[in-house]
Amino acid sequence: MTSIQEHKQKHKIETPNEKQNRHKAMEAIKVLNTLKEGFKEPPKAMSYFYDLFEEVYCHQKALHTDKVKVGTMCIQIPSEIIYALDGVPIRLCNGFYTDDEIGSDLLPQKACPLVKASVGHLSSKNLTDKPDMIYSPTTCDQKTKAGTLISSFGYDVVDVDFPRTKESEISREFFRRSIRDFSVDLSHKMGRKLTKKNLRASISKIGYAQSLYHRLSEFRKSKIVPILGNDMFIVTNAFFFDKLDNWIEATEKLVQELEQRVKENLHVAGKVSPRIVYTGSPPIFPNYKIPLIIEDSDAIIVADETCSSNRMFNDRVAVDEWFVNDMIDSLADKYLKACTCPVFSKNDDRIRRIIELVRSHNADGVIYQAFAGCTVYELEQRSVLEAMEKEGISILYIESDYSPSQHGQLSTRVEAFVESLKIKNRNRK
Amino acid sequence: MKYFAGIDIGSTAIKITIIDENKEMVGHRISGSGSMFYKYAQQTLGDLLKDLNISDEDVCYRVATGYGRKLFKEADENISEITANAIGAVAAAKEFGAIKTIINIGGQDSKAISLDDQGNVVNFAMNDRCAAGTGKFLDACAMNLEIGVEELGERHFNATGTPLSINSTCAVFAESEIIGLLGNSHSVEDIVSGVHYSIAKRIVKLVKRVGVKEGIYFDGGPALNGGLVNAIENEIGQKIFIPKHPQVTTSFGAAILGVDSYNYQNSGL
Repeated sequence: MTSIQEHKQKHKIETPNEKQNRHKAMEAIKVLNTLKEGFKEPPKAMSYFYDLFEEVYCHQKALHTDKVKVGTMCIQIPSEIIYALDGVPIRLCNGFYTDDEIGSDLLPQKACPLVKASVGHLSSKNLTDKPDMIYSPTTCDQKTKAGTLISSFGYDVVDVDFPRTKESEISREFFRRSIRDFSVDLSHKMGRKLTKKNLRASISKIGYAQSLYHRLSEFRKSKIVPILGNDMFIVTNAFFFDKLDNWIEATEKLVQELEQRVKENLHVAGKVSPRIVYTGSPPIFPNYKIPLIIEDSDAIIVADETCSSNRMFNDRVAVDEWFVNDMIDSLADKYLKACTCPVFSKNDDRIRRIIELVRSHNADGVIYQAFAGCTVYELEQRSVLEAMEKEGISILYIESDYSPSQHGQLSTRVEAFVESLKIKNRNRK
Repeated sequence: MKYFAGIDIGSTAIKITIIDENKEMVGHRISGSGSMFYKYAQQTLGDLLKDLNISDEDVCYRVATGYGRKLFKEADENISEITANAIGAVAAAKEFGAIKTIINIGGQDSKAISLDDQGNVVNFAMNDRCAAGTGKFLDACAMNLEIGVEELGERHFNATGTPLSINSTCAVFAESEIIGLLGNSHSVEDIVSGVHYSIAKRIVKLVKRVGVKEGIYFDGGPALNGGLVNAIENEIGQKIFIPKHPQVTTSFGAAILGVDSYNYQNSGL
């Protein structure tokens, strides 16, 4: 008995922030351990990324103490402009169940877990790289409203108007104006000017990062797949907050190692593991629930169509004239026209992209996840399913959230889908 | 002197408390339930009375409680373990102050009981569907880790890394999770604290169903585990009171009710 009383005196009760940090560390380490231990040997170059996530989420290491941090609420804020003005973009989209639970007290029960987690995280004010300002593109309803809620916590939040159609000339002009305004606002706040030189340099640097992503993607097209889809998500997720130069260096090393792996015929999955294209609501660390179930069910994710990965890197900026105003307009076009987010009224581009990925990566099927509450992905599910059916592509639609509890039921569904793909492949031969 | 007995027959242990007419605890005894609840309960009561030098006739009222309460035929009365737990907790925590919430972790279920200012039960929540977050879950985990259940507390405080959470609610699936972690040579300490936090989170969810209030009392065998206590305190964000004898709160409560019933029945009303 006395030992409990002694312990109780020795050990203080955690503060809410300490508790939140511990919960997040527990979530993070679980996923990192699974990646390190649950599959065939990961590439050595992955340890940079594993360590990065562990330092940031288990030991609360701040990465950008000397820089102005520009928070972004969605993918549509051009990081090229932020880097050109010597700021650091921090994407605030959040994947922690811990923060989702905090956000649940502030948003409707049925709201999207990603939005709840992002709001919950910001409401706690417990951030290692706290953004100095936040730009919030008015994309889906929930993100739009979240921006206003977040500003009530005392953050400097600026809405960036975003159109809900992308075919028309009006929407193109609309978003160009919006990005021009954003550039002016950020220039003022940073006390710097966008110049031909700094903007061109950052466009080409991001372009180089994109080219590295494309090289990684190339590897996944061949029969020998040298990297797990989950590891790819880790790499692209690190782009949300890492120091750009470090990210580039680590990814270059990864590219080299994968080249070697392909030469050595090192395939990270099984011989008959079906190849999957993943699409839908974005897996954001540590919510790799569905991707981990997929690769744990003897399938391999060879490509994805999500805003936390492929959509960030797929399309390059097409600049006609290298003048500041032209570059800004080109950036606006890239972030609008190339975007395949289901917020748009018509979104045939997304269906085309998925089919293209299935064909180019020789995929056997598609798994489409929508977060319960992520209305736009839920709404678009029907048209995507119909389109895939027309193309003869097998697809599984799953609705899930951030809670770790339904693992058993979900993995049974995924396993059954993977098995059906295996049988189809066998019958084809 | 008149004596009163509270007999709590649980899934894992039989707990017996003897009190005097002033409701002061005279002695208590705990033994395993084994396969024959009735026989062991009788035996334990006999042994305890012998130790205390109290003759059978001096025990004027016996109240049985717990899952096996209906099997104890000599009982003058039997009451549910929820009522008994509430009465026992309020009495045992006199020096601590008002008790508003009781957390009880038993061998095969866990409960959260909410009390009003007078100490009456106003609401309770129970996890009785499976062994998740119960003493049995702790037993199973200790067994997988090849350590004694009494070592868990100390090990918890020696953990140096991030607690390794056990996501499976099911004790059977948790076993394979633990074996997987051990296989990848994670430290027993980090797994133990992970197990405690997994149980603590579940318990706190249960408590939230009845409402978290100041004045939390934690009893049942697992309350002897300082590591689990620490985990629950961190999850709930406040100090919780652990009685001197956490296993016998319910039998103590049953005995107290015995005094009241006996006095009422003999008051000539």
